Amino acid sequence: MGIKALEVWNRRLHYYLGLYFLFFLWLFSLTGLMLNHQQWFTDLYERRQSSYDVPIETLVGDTQLELTRDAMRQLSLQGEIDWPAAQPVGHLDFSVSRPNGSAQVRVDVNAKKAYVREFENGHLHAFQILHTFSGSRFNQPASRRDWVMTSIWVFAMDALSAGLIVMVLGSYYMWWRLKKRKALGAMVLCAGAASCSVFLLGFL
Amino acid sequence: MLYRWLRDLHLYFGLFISPFILLFAASVFYLNHGKLSAGTEPTTDVYRNLTVPDGFDRLKGREAVDRAKAILPQVDVAGEIGFLRYVPIDRHLIFPVSRAGSEAVVDVDLDARTANVTRRSMNLWESLSYLHKMPGPHNVAIRGNWSGTRAWRVLADATIYLTLFISVSGVYLWWAIKAERRIGLTLLTAGAVTFFGLIFAILHGH
Repeated sequence: MGIKALEVWNRRLHYYLGLYFLFFLWLFSLTGLMLNHQQWFTDLYERRQSSYDVPIETLVGDTQLELTRDAMRQLSLQGEIDWPAAQPVGHLDFSVSRPNGSAQVRVDVNAKKAYVREFENGHLHAFQILHTFSGSRFNQPASRRDWVMTSIWVFAMDALSAGLIVMVLGSYYMWWRLKKRKALGAMVLCAGAASCSVFLLGFL
Repeated sequence: MLYRWLRDLHLYFGLFISPFILLFAASVFYLNHGKLSAGTEPTTDVYRNLTVPDGFDRLKGREAVDRAKAILPQVDVAGEIGFLRYVPIDRHLIFPVSRAGSEAVVDVDLDARTANVTRRSMNLWESLSYLHKMPGPHNVAIRGNWSGTRAWRVLADATIYLTLFISVSGVYLWWAIKAERRIGLTLLTAGAVTFFGLIFAILHGH
């Protein structure tokens, strides 16, 4: 492949990736702004809460995960599972979360009863949670994602990040080939790199 | 005329924020897949004869943080105070202080006027992730109590605004190339279907 063809495909890749990821990029940009300026949105985080208890059948499973999944199936709950550090005797406690809500569940195994407290997030709150919805608990090395939708969403986040890196590197090449804009571009790039490095290296 | 201006602004704004985009994009991989490792062993230093401001038993929020900041130069620590915990039973004040590259926990004995400072250095991935998450949604009332965090907030915001500008101007610049409209529209539609389909599945799917 000649230089000319490489340039054409590099330019095409730049805007093809940009167009495909446009909505993802807007979501993460806008939610990033929301996360950094919670004070602008305090009144918009409405959350409805409801509590109920229901009888359940004997839980089936050999592991905590299987028992929890069976309880979730019976309660029609979906999402990422989280357990407390220790389970009370005769109980199975867990919480399930997804961007538009969460549920705290306490199953009394002997009484065959589940006590559920459900929270429903508003649209804006759910929108914001998508920014951080990775199911990742990096301070718990043994934890893993348990909901398939979380894994798919994380794949989308990774794909966007990889796409952005490719776009940035490709844009450096496109700029470098523009002779008239090399000097000013180099100054601007150096200014950006310097201001970013000051923070990354811990000077500020 | 508009095309030329937008093309130049797209280029120069893009070049300026490109290191920030790389930082935010690269840190996503650590945030999504990284696990906290033990890393370097923390070190603890003891400081004595400190000048300790009073009022920690009654002050809260920004006022308390402002007073705690007076302790930081005396224990050779600089950074963002995460939160303050006053322990009334033995009159200790404990607070974490962080910046990219390092974090410290300062434990001040208010009566003895001494402080134990435990320091830990972050690796590059942790530093990238730390910057990605700052200033963030937590402890809004006291967030930005260090000049570095306030400056980073401005740059993080600027990155967002310029990203939005670059994406919109990018759409305009693509639309101007008539030969690329068809395939571009196909990709834009495919991206929209993927995006809205995923969100619908996450919010309403079983």
